[in-house]
Amino acid sequence: MFRTEMMDINMGPQHPATHGVLRLKLLLDGETVTDTDVIIGYLHRGVEKLCETKNYHMIEPYTDRLDYVAAMYENLGYVETVEKLMGVKVPERAEYIRVITAELQRIASHLVWLGTHALDIGAMTVFFYCFREREIILDLFEAFCGARLTYNAYRIGGLPWDLPPGWTDRARHFVKIFPERQKEYDTLLTKNRIWLGRTKGVGILRAEDAIDFGVTGPCLRSAGVDYDLRKAHPYSVYDRFQFDVPVTYNCDTYDRYLIRMEEMRQSTRIVEQALDHLPAGEVMAKVPKRIKPPAGEVYHTVEGPRGELGFYIVSQGEDKPYRMRFRSPSFVNLQALPHMIRGSLVADVVAVIGTLDIVLGDVDR
Amino acid sequence: MIFGNLLRKFLLLELWQGMWVTLKNQFRPHITVEYPRETLEFAPRFRGVPRLRRDPQTGEELCISCLLCEAICPTECISIVSEKKADGKGKDLVSFTINYERCCFCGLCVDPCPTKPITAIYMSHDYEFAGYDRDVYVADRRELVDGLPVKLYDR
Repeated sequence: MFRTEMMDINMGPQHPATHGVLRLKLLLDGETVTDTDVIIGYLHRGVEKLCETKNYHMIEPYTDRLDYVAAMYENLGYVETVEKLMGVKVPERAEYIRVITAELQRIASHLVWLGTHALDIGAMTVFFYCFREREIILDLFEAFCGARLTYNAYRIGGLPWDLPPGWTDRARHFVKIFPERQKEYDTLLTKNRIWLGRTKGVGILRAEDAIDFGVTGPCLRSAGVDYDLRKAHPYSVYDRFQFDVPVTYNCDTYDRYLIRMEEMRQSTRIVEQALDHLPAGEVMAKVPKRIKPPAGEVYHTVEGPRGELGFYIVSQGEDKPYRMRFRSPSFVNLQALPHMIRGSLVADVVAVIGTLDIVLGDVDR
Repeated sequence: MIFGNLLRKFLLLELWQGMWVTLKNQFRPHITVEYPRETLEFAPRFRGVPRLRRDPQTGEELCISCLLCEAICPTECISIVSEKKADGKGKDLVSFTINYERCCFCGLCVDPCPTKPITAIYMSHDYEFAGYDRDVYVADRRELVDGLPVKLYDR
């Protein structure tokens, strides 16, 4: 007469907590998740194929639109890959400005993550404060490159513009006030018992599983693996700065929160050092107007806010790439989701999606 | 120590600290503006829609129809038609249209523009575009130079 049955629940694609158009098919036993089907592709634009029809300059605006929360990193990774293929030496000043803007972008991206993650779990106040600080960074970017979200801020061989007058003072002002503001988020969340209850022990991802899944970034470092591309394979001028890579060992959502908070502090440190040692000089190397890299292939990675962001280009010596491939961290990290939420409650699914920090533009490409 | 922890737990201390932060922020100045009535000032480099401009001294149109912006545009939103001048030197611009529906505001068209000292095509500070018709967004040469006709709506 009475019987129990598994139930299929669709979460998304139009769900406020999936941070985009992500659809999850949850198989529920009561309130426990027993299996998950992750269905992606709602935002697929075929950028990789499109890149084969565009020359190397034209591709950069497209990279803006992959991970639109951290577009500076997509730009950085792309231009550095092409520079590596061509063997171009970028001027010092351009490298420093790239590091400054990229690290500011990491802070901005983590602020979006913190705000929306807290909002999903129920702490609304943090969202407003995070976006208030992000606004200052976006204003800096607007002054530097003219756009607030899709920057197209770098060019192959350097930068299209130098910093505008007064920019470094504004950036200095930001790194001065930001630690104070970050203490506010700390006060609101770190010891808050509701926050602890919702995040401690939720979404466990152990180191061996994380490595098997190919998970990178803060999600990997929360499992105790000290792997940061800025230290492991330094690119640009990252080997000249002093900063720490935070590592924790509890593998849960709360640890990933602590890691990202600490990363923001470390990014502030890097920006400070880069501003202090900003050299004078040119910002653009001598590159031909029509970019034709030699035939060959190249893979280059940068440490984005979400993890290892890789670019793979096969060139046949023409002005268009023969094949273009993006290794986007969100896509790789997302495949750990079914493993992380197996056996947990439905309410924790939202917390785990938040802690993975996925951007659907980056997942689907 | 244990007693202290219990007391802290009982008094909801960390929640009150959070409340104190929110209370402090009540008295900070507003950072938002009421958009249609107030607007923010843009950075000089702000990239709005691309436009054409005249030489400020002579008032002549600057574009020499070299087709470089058309060649670099990733979304192919610029289309230029030109014909050879009667004396055989240079070209005359017949038509220059930008399809704002396709434009992605990347600013790549401004980089290669060869006219000195100011570029013929530039990223203007205009950003408010709304229309009932798709034809509105295909701007021809006259509209690109003088600006799109702006229709104001009464509130």
